Amino acid sequence: MEIKLEVNRKHYILDVTEDERLLDVLRNRLGLTGTKEGCGEGECGACTVIMDGKTVNSCLVLAGQADGRRITTIEGVGSRRSPHPVQKALVEVGAVQCGFCTPGMVLSAKALLDQNPKPTDDEIAVGMSGNLCRCTGYDKILRAVRKASEEVAE
Amino acid sequence: MDYFRPLSIEEALGLAQQPGRLFLAGGTDLSLHMREGRINPLGLIDLGKIAELKEIRLEGEWLEIGSMTTFYDLGQSDLIRKQAKALWQACQTMGSPQIRHQATIGGNLGNCSPAADGLPPLLALGAEVELVSARGRERVLLADLLKRTPLLESGTLIKGFLIPLQGWDSGFAKLGRRQALAIARLSTAFALKRQDGVALEVRAAFGAVGRRAFLSEPLAQSLSGRVLNESWLEDAVKGSQNAVAEALGSRASAPYKRVAVGGVVRQALKTMLGGGNHDGD
Amino acid sequence: MTQVIGNGSIREDAWGKVFGESKYPADFNRPDQIYGVVIRSTQAHARIRSINVDKARLPGVITILTAEDMVYNRHGVLFRDQPVLAEERVRMIGDPVAAIGAESLAAAKQAAALVEIDYEPLPAIFDPEEGMKPSALPLHPELFPDTNILYHLPIRRGNMDEGWTQAEVVVEREYSTQMVDHAFLQPEAVLAYIDERGHVVVQVATQYAHYDRGEIAHALGLKNSKVQVKTTTVGGAFGGREDISLQIIAAMMAWKTMRPVKFENTRNESFYSHSKRHPMKMYYKTGAAKDGRLVALEAKIIGDAGAYTSWSPNILRKAAVHATGPYEIPHVKIDSYAVYTNNPYTGAMRGFGAAQPVVAYESQMDLLAKELGISQVEIRMRNLLKVGSTTATGQVLTESVGAEACLKAVLPYLTGKEGRV
Repeated sequence: MEIKLEVNRKHYILDVTEDERLLDVLRNRLGLTGTKEGCGEGECGACTVIMDGKTVNSCLVLAGQADGRRITTIEGVGSRRSPHPVQKALVEVGAVQCGFCTPGMVLSAKALLDQNPKPTDDEIAVGMSGNLCRCTGYDKILRAVRKASEEVAE
Repeated sequence: MDYFRPLSIEEALGLAQQPGRLFLAGGTDLSLHMREGRINPLGLIDLGKIAELKEIRLEGEWLEIGSMTTFYDLGQSDLIRKQAKALWQACQTMGSPQIRHQATIGGNLGNCSPAADGLPPLLALGAEVELVSARGRERVLLADLLKRTPLLESGTLIKGFLIPLQGWDSGFAKLGRRQALAIARLSTAFALKRQDGVALEVRAAFGAVGRRAFLSEPLAQSLSGRVLNESWLEDAVKGSQNAVAEALGSRASAPYKRVAVGGVVRQALKTMLGGGNHDGD
Repeated sequence: MTQVIGNGSIREDAWGKVFGESKYPADFNRPDQIYGVVIRSTQAHARIRSINVDKARLPGVITILTAEDMVYNRHGVLFRDQPVLAEERVRMIGDPVAAIGAESLAAAKQAAALVEIDYEPLPAIFDPEEGMKPSALPLHPELFPDTNILYHLPIRRGNMDEGWTQAEVVVEREYSTQMVDHAFLQPEAVLAYIDERGHVVVQVATQYAHYDRGEIAHALGLKNSKVQVKTTTVGGAFGGREDISLQIIAAMMAWKTMRPVKFENTRNESFYSHSKRHPMKMYYKTGAAKDGRLVALEAKIIGDAGAYTSWSPNILRKAAVHATGPYEIPHVKIDSYAVYTNNPYTGAMRGFGAAQPVVAYESQMDLLAKELGISQVEIRMRNLLKVGSTTATGQVLTESVGAEACLKAVLPYLTGKEGRV
């Protein structure tokens, strides 16, 4: 079946299968491998993308459900020349270890700050609660989001 | 498998005439059940493009909630916060931000997991459900619907929920293995019509206790028409423990849950009674 | 001299990770690749009567591997006791039995479901203490003909009779810890192919590339120089990527078909396919004098090795060495054992055997403090290792013993009165 997608400001018309997931479309059809599959059941958040301004687990979104929607993946956020404040803070605070959760973390943090540029610590914790990290213990990740929020708010 | 994207309820009902087709709401459970091979539908009818199903509005003496309203939308709604506090609370903690953005209240009923977070609040608030099918429309109390097997005749669409605006206070609490992303091990919602420090009427609902969420009539009766004080609260806790013990019988989780429900009920009642304000935490 | 301690430095790989540029094994693909799926044992212990793959030869299926396809079918970090693909016997649920390679993942999965394995269930051992009994059936007779105890370390110091005589209070308890999965966030994946030199190249997230190379070469009957292991970005490991998982199967499939082969575990498959943390049963008897000084410890620690050796001897050695905790005890009798069972095999995981005894020895300290009527902090302060202390293994500590300074530093952050936390 045919779906229309906007991914990182590019428009696509794709022929997909009915049981394909948005995650599969991004990784296998568009080669956007920054979106990771960690659990395949919406627990870990490694496959997080932003769909029409809101984070979703792309492993739980069927391709058909993404039809006509605007998607931002990690490849659409920041660049080496101009990193997003969240990306910069994660690096500087030392919140990146194995990095497998990192793209999802960046997208959750970005979506949070887009909506709420000055979150409280509790709001940060809730905003990041759908993303698991097995390496860091979260403390530095939350500190990085706090640091990024200070930069965004300036 | 076929995949349909109808733009209206009528179109969706027409598509549902063929056997083997399922309505797809948020899909956070359905897509997993398909991948695990637990269900193999011949067709999916994606309800995501029907705007009418996503509305939250006041209609006369009722608060109407479209079935495709997401937990996020409900949790952001002032109407829900003011008129259906327990539901609003449940929407803050269900799943994770990602899940709340996608999962819908109609899907929560349609999938009808024992642990569905949305159902105890809707039960406590006295919600009715509007069902539509090619055979016609039906309005039924959620509490009655949950006693049916199967829950829904095939081809039946959950159009939405109607909560009576009766000025009741309500509160919700749940117990999960951790704060985020945890399926409720136990949840409860209470609703209360009160006047001058007296509990005129009470409803008490439990989730993740037995096959489906339910209202406890004996508990509601024992707490109605009494002065709201410390002994009322203690009776609510004890009554809840009895209701849960009875519902679970000899299940392995019974010894744990019949004790744990005490703490969960206290938490729900605290948010419900805390000064009587409707403005959330 | 450059000041290192106290200075933050930026990880080299952090930038690639925040942009999603870093490549984990599942992020690599090659033209014309085939997709592999492993069929795993559903039995904890069974003889395989037959494997029938006839129905699995669907269109799109390129190859089906079984043990017979291996030149040398064994691997293992210490002992090569783990079959690449099961031979006549499976020893745990999750043991790889066969592998399908197909043009698509869907075809591979469909075919995998059609492989018929006829198992004859055998009595299984799930409790290592059962496995230690002389009557238990040995699970690796080729290594240990008459026992499932694959490792025993006795540590003796001082004189136990003297120790118990000095003891004012004695606390005797049993402790047990559970099996734990690393749950590294990136499920195992591997891409294997034959390069322009005719060498087998295996791209994988591993903790142990040179060992992987040796095991792949060995199983395929190739020289080490014909095998290259490329370590990709690793999505967490915590010890769980020290053993071989999909590497050899993928390499053999590529070698046999001369096509690139990709395997990608689901989370579910991942749980079945790698090692776990050792559950330990710990019997502790600890004695202290009236003033709170520890005088005697007798400990027996039994580690569940599961179906294969992996790092079990090293882990139970470490458990024994750490059995006294950071405390000096003059009279010590410690015995640690690693025992085969039909549980998932256990191996390296954060702490490597040092983590489990903490549960036992620190609980003992709390109980002794209570018996003696002194605080939990006080009893520790009186017994912590210092410069000049001798450990249970006879090592004299001559420098860098930070336990006391550490406890003093954290004390202000502990809540409660009188050192009760």
